[in-house]
Order: sequence, then C-alpha cells, then structure tokens
Amino acid sequence: MTTLQLGLMYGGATLAALFSGIPIAFALGGVATIFMMFFMPAASLDTIAQNVYEELASITLLTIPLFILKGAAIGKSRAGKDLYDALHTWLGRVPGGLGVAVVLACGLFAAMAGSSPATCSAIGSSGIPEMRRRGYSPGFAAGLVAAGGTLGILLPPSIVLILYAVAAEQSLGRLFLAGLGPGVLLVVLFASFAVFQWKREFIKAEKVVANGGPRSPILSDEHFTMAERLAALPRVMPFLLLLTGVMVALYGGIATPSETAGLGAVMALALIAIVYRAYKLRDLKPIFEGTLGESGMLLMIIGMSLLYSYVMSYLHISQSAAEAIVGLHLSKWMLLVAILLLVVMLGFFLPPVSIILMTAPIILPPLRAAGFDLIWFGVVMAVVMEMGLIHPPVGLNIFVINRIAPDIGLGPVIRGTIPFVILMAIGVVILSFVPGIAMWLPNAVYG
Amino acid sequence: MSAHAELDLTHIDAPRTGVLGAIQSVLDVVNGVLAAASALAIAAAGLVLTWEVVGRYFLGIASDWQDELSTFLLIGATFASAAWTQARRGHVGIDALSMILPPSADRVRRRLADVGSSVFCTFFAVKCWQLLVEAWVDDQTTPSAWGAPLWIPYACMTFGMALLALQQALQVFTPRPVE
Repeated sequence: MTTLQLGLMYGGATLAALFSGIPIAFALGGVATIFMMFFMPAASLDTIAQNVYEELASITLLTIPLFILKGAAIGKSRAGKDLYDALHTWLGRVPGGLGVAVVLACGLFAAMAGSSPATCSAIGSSGIPEMRRRGYSPGFAAGLVAAGGTLGILLPPSIVLILYAVAAEQSLGRLFLAGLGPGVLLVVLFASFAVFQWKREFIKAEKVVANGGPRSPILSDEHFTMAERLAALPRVMPFLLLLTGVMVALYGGIATPSETAGLGAVMALALIAIVYRAYKLRDLKPIFEGTLGESGMLLMIIGMSLLYSYVMSYLHISQSAAEAIVGLHLSKWMLLVAILLLVVMLGFFLPPVSIILMTAPIILPPLRAAGFDLIWFGVVMAVVMEMGLIHPPVGLNIFVINRIAPDIGLGPVIRGTIPFVILMAIGVVILSFVPGIAMWLPNAVYG
Repeated sequence: MSAHAELDLTHIDAPRTGVLGAIQSVLDVVNGVLAAASALAIAAAGLVLTWEVVGRYFLGIASDWQDELSTFLLIGATFASAAWTQARRGHVGIDALSMILPPSADRVRRRLADVGSSVFCTFFAVKCWQLLVEAWVDDQTTPSAWGAPLWIPYACMTFGMALLALQQALQVFTPRPVE
C-alpha cells in the first residue's frame, strides 16, 4: 500500500470516528490504535499507554491545569465585573468610552484568566446590560464582548500557545511575548471600531430626536467624580498586581513557565480569598469542578492527539503530506493563505488543541521551508483560531453571549460579530506585512 | 455536546434504575471521592511549584523533586477524574450529525459512539495495567536524581481508565433524549 493510500485511509477513518460522535480524545486514540494493529509491528501496541504517558509527562503541557485553575478562580469571582466597572469610571469621558472599557477589560481579564469563554462570561454579564442600558444596539454590545473575549487565546497564558510551543518545539517564553504585540493590535482595532460604531449610533439617535422621536440614552452624558474613580481601584489593583507579578516572575528569570502556572494559581486563589472572601467549600467547589472538567477533557485530547501524531509520523503520512505540500511549489504567501484556510475549515469541527496537534507535523515543515518564522506563524494561527470563536457555524463565544443575554437572539449576535471577524482578518494582513509587531518584543528580550 | 460547547458539569448522564443504577450509585461515590482527591492534587501541584520558586529564589534550595512530583499529581488528577468528567459528558465530541439524522438513526449513532469509546478505553486500560505490572516487577523509576517509582502514575492511569471504561459502558445503557 502506498503512503498516499495509507494517508487517505487514516484521514477517512479519523473523519468517520470524529463524526460518529465518539469523544474527540477517544476517536483519535482509537484510530491510532487500529492503525497500529494493522500497519505497525505488533509490539508497538504494547507501547500505547507508555507513549501517552511520556507525551503527557511534559511539565510544559502540565501547566495547563494550573493555568485553568487560575482562570477559573478569577473567572468565577467578581473580578471581571469590578475590572469592567473600574475601567468604565475612568473612561467615562472618552467618546464611546463604555465600549472601549469593555474591550480593555476583556484584554486585561483574558490575560489574567487565559480563557475566552470565561472572559466573555465575566465581562459580558455586566458589560452587555450596561451598554444596552446606555443605548448601545444589542448586536454591537454583544459583538464587542464576543470579540474581546477571543483575546484569551492570544494573550499569555494562552493554552493554545502552550500547545503550539510543544507541537512546534518553540520557546514558550518567546511565544507568550510574541502574542502581546498582536494582542495590543487587536485591542486597538476593536477599541477604534467601538468608538466609530458608537459615533454612528450617536448620530443616528440624534437624527431620531431631530425628527421628534424618543431620546436614546446614548445621547446622555455620564460623569464620574474623582472620588468615584479612586473608589473603584482598590478591588482591581490586586488582580493587576497578579497579572504583572506573574509576568515579572516569568520574564525576570524568577520562575519557569510551569512554576509561573503554579504560582499564578496559588496567588489567584489567595487573592479571591482575601478580596472576595471566597474561601469556603461552596466558593471553591465550582472553581475546582470547572478546572477538573476542562483540564481533564483537554489533557485527554492532548495525550491522544500526540499518540495520533506519533502513528501518523511512524507511517510516514505526515512527512509525505508535508513533502506533497512543498511539491506544489506554491508561492510563500499562497502557501500561508492555503494553510490558514485549512485551519479555518478545521475550526468548524475541531477545537484548537486538536487542530494544532494534528496538523503541526504536516504544516510546519513546509512553512519552515518557505522561510516563515514559526513563532510568528504560531501567533498568526492563534489570531485565525480567534476568528473561529466568533464566526458561524461554531463560534463558541457566540453561544456564550447567547446564554448570558438570551433576549438578544443569535441573529443580531452573529451580525454584531461580523465587523470583528473582518478586523481580525485585517489584523492578520497587518501582521503579515509588519511581522515586527509580533517579533519585536521576543527578539528584544531573548535576542 | 459539540466539540466547542461549554462544559455543563451539573448534569450526570448515567443509568438511575435497576442493577445498572445500583452500580452507577457506587461509581458515583467512587467518582466523587476521586474528583475531590484530584482537586486536592491540582492544588497541591500549585503549592509544590510555588514552593519550588520560593525555595530556589529566596532560600537557595536546589529543586530536584518538585517538577516530577507535580507531574505525578497532575497526571494522577487527569486520569483519576476522567470517569467523573465522563459521567457529565465532559469529554466532548462532534455532534454535527444529530442535526441531519432522523431521531431513531441518531439514537443508534450515539449508542455506537458510546460502545466505541468504551471498547477503546477498555483496551487502553488493559495496556496501562500491563505497563503497571512491568513497572512494579522491574522496579522502574524515573531517570532523575529523585528516582520516583513509575508504578505510581501508571496505577493512576490504569485505575482511571478502567473506571472511565466502566462509566462509558454504563452510559451505553442509559436512555438519552434526542437534543
């Protein structure tokens, strides 16, 4: 049997197993095991458990449960609401300041929690009602939070970047730093759009009033006294200190990424205990249950995806597929576009963890051969995966918003996210023309 | 649950009546205890890694066992809580076909998916058991200076995968409403 035939069978069996509804982890593990039975030496079957253990026993991968614990502790506390409230009072005078506050709160919260759904949920549950009360259209308010929430997979400690670092054998420290510039770029793009859209809705509301219609709350001025602004700070300062403290520990040479994960989780639990008095069993139970469910599911997928990739590599499927892609002699940028489109399409069905681990052995060698920096590509890939969080048919954040603001309806939420999908695509183009946005910081720090 | 849906950990999808219900009740207790132990293990891993930073940076104590201990704790937590997660259908799959297939065909598909998962996890549990026996008999340890016995994580894997396979087998017989 040729490698092409074997590869087609492997791909076909994977699709059949995944679409049968078998959980992703066991579908990938099952397909890998069946191909081991038929196409690899019999002794290889005895090593599957050891393979999974050895792949999982990477201290980098095992930072994931601890980063999830840190995110769950912050996400299930009132930190999101307090952060958003504080930014709202400080940005009250900026045109469209409420929307800008939401974007900034999403960015900061995502950097603390490292989770897109948690960010959407935490900021959206207070931000969306407030924006609607202040006259923002429901779709705009929902789109802003859904898009802001996506920053969770780009800003450190992004689980997507951790996995990419392992799959691409790249420095996690460099990747985390490379995510910062593009994260700021997206925050600027989203915030600019928030101001632009606010202005449009403001002008529209003025016209309605001029024609004798009702006065929208968007036309009202909102003032906060300095006392109110200062009063908002004490609750958020500890969390901003956590955010900066973790970064200083990581990049100041004090802690490794795994130690940073442990330190961050312990500090987050200590902070919610001190600031919100969340130390009783009833407070901690949902935090740990959420952590167990999410990290268990993710690590099982990761372990089995690595087994799946190992079999693909042993059977020379990944190498042959990579050679075939190189053999197409696509121009550098066509290759990038084709690979990113593949990532988008896979994102319709698979979570980012599986996409990265399953495709890395195939797509990374051609990208390296074409001269792309794999750190830069990891960040671009993360932005593209962010787009998948807010566009149909899947768009996890769309469903999170639909759950916290069900009266808006899926249609307006989806329409509200479209401008942000376009902004992210613009962000990818900007990153392609100005790679320094991603690469300047890691190069400056690591040389 | 689709591949991208948020986890709903409040609903247990398992048999509640008859002999299978009784087995599930026992399994619920075991799952609950192991979930609590796993939560403690994750918290302990966080504390161990925090101690590693404090010990090395502020007290000048060399770190030799901390990374391995936290690896053991986190791998143990992942496998020990696997059945607890599965009881809540927390191991996500792609449910796209449920929108296309007629309800009766979709029920068959779901049941076959549960059977497939259970068969794989049973096979994997057997392989973990073989690994555990080998590590125990040969007295295998990690290659580090600490030299921790490898039967510890392998035992967690074996026990966790066996419980997971049992949970999935019980779910094969749970009537599931069409979403």
